[in-house]
Amino acid sequence: MSNIAIKVENLYKSFGKGDTLVEVIKDASFTIDKGELVALVAPSGAGKTTLLMMIGCVDTPNSGQMWIGDEKVYDNKWLTKETRKLRREKIGFIFQAHYLIPFLNIIDNLTLLPQSNGTNDKVSKAKARELLKYLDIADKEKAMPSQLSGGQNQRVAIARALANNPQIILADEPTAALDIHRSVDVLKMLKKIALEQNVAIIMVTHDDRMLPYCDRVMEIENMGVVFKDSK
Amino acid sequence: MISLAKEDIRHTLGKFIVTAMGVGMLLGIVLIMMGVYRGMISDAEVLLNDLNVDLWVVQDDTLGPFAEASRVHEDLKYTLKSIQAIDKCEAITFQNLQLPLANRKLAVLAIGYDVYGEINPINYNRLIEGTVLQNDHYEIVVSDKTGYKLSDKIKLGRNSYKVVGITHGTVASGGDPLVYISLKDAQELQFTYTNKRIQTDRARGIINKDTHLVNAIIATLKAGYNVDIVAQEIQKWHHKNVYTKVQQKVVLTRNVVEKASKQIGLFTVILIAVATIIIALIIYTMTLEKMKEISIMKLIGLPNSMIIKMIVEETLLLGVLAFIFGNIFAHLIYGKFPKNVVLELNDAWLLFGIVVIASIFASFIGVKKVINADPTVAIGG
Repeated sequence: MSNIAIKVENLYKSFGKGDTLVEVIKDASFTIDKGELVALVAPSGAGKTTLLMMIGCVDTPNSGQMWIGDEKVYDNKWLTKETRKLRREKIGFIFQAHYLIPFLNIIDNLTLLPQSNGTNDKVSKAKARELLKYLDIADKEKAMPSQLSGGQNQRVAIARALANNPQIILADEPTAALDIHRSVDVLKMLKKIALEQNVAIIMVTHDDRMLPYCDRVMEIENMGVVFKDSK
Repeated sequence: MISLAKEDIRHTLGKFIVTAMGVGMLLGIVLIMMGVYRGMISDAEVLLNDLNVDLWVVQDDTLGPFAEASRVHEDLKYTLKSIQAIDKCEAITFQNLQLPLANRKLAVLAIGYDVYGEINPINYNRLIEGTVLQNDHYEIVVSDKTGYKLSDKIKLGRNSYKVVGITHGTVASGGDPLVYISLKDAQELQFTYTNKRIQTDRARGIINKDTHLVNAIIATLKAGYNVDIVAQEIQKWHHKNVYTKVQQKVVLTRNVVEKASKQIGLFTVILIAVATIIIALIIYTMTLEKMKEISIMKLIGLPNSMIIKMIVEETLLLGVLAFIFGNIFAHLIYGKFPKNVVLELNDAWLLFGIVVIASIFASFIGVKKVINADPTVAIGG
C-alpha cells in the first residue's frame, strides 16, 4: 500500500467547442501524499475550482488519468458509474461557508454520510463524538447549526469532512470568511488533521498569509500545475 | 438511519402544519362537495324509500310527480284494488307550498295522503315529536328544518293548520323540507279556489271543477307476485303510466337530480385538480427552498435515493396530514349547509386514494428537480 493520496496525470479540461472552446486545465500532473496539506492558488478564473471538482470526482475531465489512493478512478473516462460513491467513501469536502444541513443537529450532520455508506448508527455516532471532541466542540452535538457561531460551525464542517474516514479532503477557501486569527487556527487544525488522520488536504486559498502553514503550494500557471515553495 | 423528511419537518413544523391545514381546507371543501352530491341523491330518495311501495300509477306520458305534473283520478285506486296482485293501494298528492315564517316564506313540498288509508308516507323512525296525522282536516306534520314547533298554527290557503308532528331528515329531491297533510286538505289547497275565483270561473262558464284528483296512485303487491309483470298489465290500461320503485329511482336520479349532480361532480373534479396542482406547487416550492442543501448533499456524496425519499415522504405526509385536516374541517362545517350533506366513508377513502396519487404525482416535480440539481452550485459554480 503506497503513501499516495491522489495522483493525477495529464489531466485536461476544456469547455465548449470549436470557436467557443476554452481550455482550463492542460496536462496537469501531480502527486499528493497522505498527511500533506497543500495549498492551491491561482488568480480568479484560472481553474482552481474546476481542478478541485475534477479531483473531487464532481466534474468530469476531458482526458487524463487519476488515482485516489491505489485505486485508478479515471482513465479518459470514469472507471466507475458511481462517482458519488467515490466521494462518499474517499473524499471529504470543506467549503467557504459551513454548508451544514440546517434541519439536522450537529451529530446528525456528522453521521448522515457514514450512515448512507452503511455504517450503523452506534458506530457512526461514536466516531462523530470522537471528532467533536477532537475539535473541541463535544458539548454541541445536540445543537442546531443556527445555534452555533461561525467558527464553531466551520469546525463541525471540518468534522463532517472527516466523518467518512476520507483519503483526501478538498477545502474550498475554508478561511475566506474568517479573521486572521481564526484563519490561522483553522490552518493549524487542518495541518494537525492531515498529520494525525493521515489524510491529504488540498486547500484553495487566496490568502498568502495562509501559505506558510501549508506543506506545499500548488499553483495553476498557463493551465498547468506547478509546485512552488510555501515559504 | 436518519430520516431526512422527519428532521426537515420537525425543523419547520409550524410552517408544515399550516401548509397542511391550508391544503386540508381545500380537501375539506372537496369532501363537502362529494357530500352535497351524496346528499342530493339521498334526499331524492327519502320519500321514495319512506313510502316503499311497489308501483306508481301516474298520468300517461309523464314520468310521475317526482319529475313533472301528473294528475289521475282518485277513484283509480278502487280499480287498482280490484286487481288480485294488489295488497295496499292509496292516492297521494305532491304540492309545492310556501310556509309563512316570521318574516319570509319557506318553500316546502307537501305530501297529501289519506289519513285513514292503508299506506302512511310518514316514516315513524323519522318522527321525533308528536304523532302522524290523526284527523283528515287542518293538521300538519312538518320537518324540523321548517323551524315550527308542536301545536304551532300555520295559515295555508283559507285555513289554519295545527302542527301535530315533527320529523327529521325528511326532504324532497330539491332539498326542500317535506310536510304532510291529509289528502282532503291537499286537494282543497291544490284544486279549490277562492270564492272570487270561483265566481270568475262561473262567469266564464267553468263550473263543477273536479277536485278529486291526485298526483299518483301508489300500491304494494301481495307476496309472490312479480312487480314487473303486474306493472306491464296495468300499463295496458289507457291514459296511465306505471313505474316500479326501481324505475322511479331511475327517474329521480336521471331526470330530477342528474344535471345538478353532474354539475356538482364536475365541480368536485375541478377542485381535486386544483388541490393536486396546489400540492404540486407546494412541494416544488419546498424543494426549491432546499436546493442549496440538496446540492450540498449531492456534492458530499449522499445518494439520490436518500434525497428523493425525503421529498416523497414529505409530500405523502403533507397529503395525509391535509387529508386528516380536511376530514376534520368537513365534519366541523357540514352541518351548517342549508341542504343535506352526506359524508360517506367510501368517499373519504376515495379522496384519500386520490390525494396519495396526487401527492406521488406532485413529488415527481420535486424529484426531477433533485435529479437535475447541480452539486457544484454548492460551491458557487
